[in-house]
Amino acid sequence: MKYHYKRDAIKPLPIKPFLNMVKDRNQVIERAEAVMPRTEFNANILAAKLHPEIQYVRISDIKDHGDAKTFILVPDEKRGTRELAYFRAGQYISVSLDFEGGTMCKPYAIRSNPKDALGEKNNHYMITVKRNITGLASDYMLDCLKVGDELEISGPLGEFYYQKFRDEKHVVALAGGSGITPFYSMAAAIVSGIEDFDLTILYGSRTSEGILLKDELEELERKSDGRVKVVHVLSHEEKEGYEHGFLTAELIAKYAPEKYSLFICGPKPLYAFGDEQAKKLGLKRKSVRKELPGDYINPQKNEDYPAGIEGKTFRLKVHIGGKITEIQIRSDQTILQAMEASHIKAPSHCRSGECGWCHSKLLSGNVYIPQDVDGRRMADLKFGWIHPCAAYAAGDAAIEVYPVIKEQD
Amino acid sequence: MSRQYDVIVVGAGNGGLAAGGITSKNGLSTLVLERHNIPGGSATSFRRGRFEFETSLHELAEVGPNPFEGTVRQLFDELGAKDVEWHFEENAFRVVLPGEGGFDATLPTGEEAFADEMERQVPGCRESVKAVFDLGRHAIEAIGYLSKGAPDPAVLQSEYADFMRIASHTTKEVLDALHMPKRAQDILVTYWCYLGAPADQLDFLYYALMLILYVQLRPAMPKMRSHEMSLALEKAIHEHGGEIWYNSEVERILVKDGKAYGVVVDGKEIYAEHIICNSHMGNALSRLLPAEEIPEKMLKLANARDIALSFVTVYLGMNRSAEELGIHDYSNFVIPCADSREQYNRCCSIEDSGYAIMNCLNTVIPESSPEGTCTLFFTTMYYGDVWKDVKPEEYKKLKIKIAGEIIENCEKALGITLKPYIEEIVIAAPPTFARYLMTPRGTPYGYQFDMWDSMMMRTMNVEAEEPIKHLRFCGACGERGDGYSSAYISGMNTGLRTVRDAKEGK
Repeated sequence: MKYHYKRDAIKPLPIKPFLNMVKDRNQVIERAEAVMPRTEFNANILAAKLHPEIQYVRISDIKDHGDAKTFILVPDEKRGTRELAYFRAGQYISVSLDFEGGTMCKPYAIRSNPKDALGEKNNHYMITVKRNITGLASDYMLDCLKVGDELEISGPLGEFYYQKFRDEKHVVALAGGSGITPFYSMAAAIVSGIEDFDLTILYGSRTSEGILLKDELEELERKSDGRVKVVHVLSHEEKEGYEHGFLTAELIAKYAPEKYSLFICGPKPLYAFGDEQAKKLGLKRKSVRKELPGDYINPQKNEDYPAGIEGKTFRLKVHIGGKITEIQIRSDQTILQAMEASHIKAPSHCRSGECGWCHSKLLSGNVYIPQDVDGRRMADLKFGWIHPCAAYAAGDAAIEVYPVIKEQD
Repeated sequence: MSRQYDVIVVGAGNGGLAAGGITSKNGLSTLVLERHNIPGGSATSFRRGRFEFETSLHELAEVGPNPFEGTVRQLFDELGAKDVEWHFEENAFRVVLPGEGGFDATLPTGEEAFADEMERQVPGCRESVKAVFDLGRHAIEAIGYLSKGAPDPAVLQSEYADFMRIASHTTKEVLDALHMPKRAQDILVTYWCYLGAPADQLDFLYYALMLILYVQLRPAMPKMRSHEMSLALEKAIHEHGGEIWYNSEVERILVKDGKAYGVVVDGKEIYAEHIICNSHMGNALSRLLPAEEIPEKMLKLANARDIALSFVTVYLGMNRSAEELGIHDYSNFVIPCADSREQYNRCCSIEDSGYAIMNCLNTVIPESSPEGTCTLFFTTMYYGDVWKDVKPEEYKKLKIKIAGEIIENCEKALGITLKPYIEEIVIAAPPTFARYLMTPRGTPYGYQFDMWDSMMMRTMNVEAEEPIKHLRFCGACGERGDGYSSAYISGMNTGLRTVRDAKEGK
């Protein structure tokens, strides 16, 4: 071969080091200590503290709010959880439930102040659960859970929190019903100096009597030095000192400063409604953040819904942990819901198609995945992977799911 | 105890997927165990809003556009994982040293074009740049000769003396010997961070090989992020009759009388003739292997090594196109000082080092995000235990502070405005990497390269340094060190050695 370099140039570099390389290497190794190498550093400790996969908790107290309850969750040392994971105000935990209605995980925003998760003593989370007409899980939690009960919850999850560089310094929140809970946590974090932004909450309730956490919010507002403002908006009552109607663009414009980000959390219809208002206000996509909507409903209303499957029941073969279980699935049930109803321990967290915790392989058959909750990666579509929490059977199908908690023989 | 599999692979990272692909393709019954619910380890992607972000790949070496074929493309093809759509970069890199006496150099691929631009940047350096490529080619020849086994010392001395020189001297020593001007050296070694060791610590051999592979074969990116490559490999394993169990963390590797024979998963023992470990070697020693079965030399080797660097990465989804933002290059290296050792020294603290790499995938794959948008991926690195004093409640603020510094450093050095157009932002720090990779300090890079522990020395000693029978290692702690192509090739080689042993009944 032709060499461009003057071979003389590197001749002064000796060959001897090459001939000694193995010997030198063995000397370096020989000089080292024969002890177990250190593998746990603070980065690893932080990872374990901030992102535990499972936290074992006990219900230490329950506060009754009428058609809602607040559960105080404390670490259960007996089962190995000594402290709870610190979180970003606005994040949620996924609560594992196993009752007659099914085996499932349900996401709930952590309502408490992040600072209450710190410290050796009294560290706790609060979640506030409101009765939901169609919600088997909320019925179970409100009617059956009692002080002292043990629960398994995930680490803090979700991206619904204030983020510097992306969000404006002022956040206008649209909250409906129990959708107040992540904003409650944000308000508490602002009061404690943990978060640094101003928050105006437009809080929709039916009547003044039915406002969830009204007194607690007032207290936060009072302590916030003007950084938190709560505006109550009543849909079914006209009363002095309250706004009347819905969380409209006009109302947002009335209370918002010139520059702001819009955060939305509430029942499903609020997200579509909020999007419409944002559009009217000319807000950019980066300025509108929405909490996860939870279980999808009414897929048959979508234009791309497959013809001829509405009201039908199909057979679903679930390959899990080396076993194959055949179950029935109605066309209005997500694949996750059908597995839960059959008490199959399928993984799930967000129930909104987004987090990917339920990532499973479609082995055969067709599924329908509503576009607005298709949170899969591009390659998942190419290679046939689905998120069962946001997928419907469009005929007989088979899937492989990967259990986190295995059945013990 | 009955054998259930020929091979168990611990971990479905790049190394584990390649190894499992090779063993299953060669007819060995193979079980891959992965603690996550998806394959790939570092090689994955994640979604935020309307963006899908590449998690960790900067650029893939050794693929090569047709008809050139790099080893990685050959591996994917051989395993039947052919349906990955690769895109290739036009330029190798842009490197910017802001300020007086600084430079702004965009180096194209192709040897001649690369040398031309180097000459334009630093007149008089062309010959030495061409020499680097020549030496790289010479090294490839020499490695070909060595890999045939039983090298003749006389042939080595007469034909491959320069190979011996460049394999046993640092990048800096060889470039000095070639009389390459310092400024040209500083530009040429821009890729040093991909191997983690600065020019006065990294052997010239590996740097020259990496440079030649990028410049000749051009850097590649998969169309659908690394997740596409990982799913293609996992599909190939299934097609060859292998199994992959997800959400299945190996708790222990079973060893008796110096021979590995199985693993424990979810409290159950599973047996195999051969175990291939894709987890970090330190974790294997401290958590997976029975202490009494670990030979002293393995512990000494692990302690002789330094844990490699860790990263902060920032992912931005922008509501402006790359063009609108004035971004034209895929790889933009922003450096605070010219010399790689000084850059390294600055990365030994948690203070703003001024070092950042900014990648914009849309410049290679325009449709990788919706029209009128683009994604940006920033990387900065840390050496040593610089995150040791961070408390959980301080972590968020620190991450945001660092992300701000990285973004501002790039804005300034590249003369662009980014902050007003951020639609999505995600920040990953060493604890984030530790969460997903479980490696010490969250390093994705295995162990730090050094002259005594160079790629060649690791490769030459790989069999001698795996003293537990039927247990082999692959991935970032494997013989070729960190990086996607290295991990794939180490998995391939480990798989091939396992196939050889199985055929010989060892």
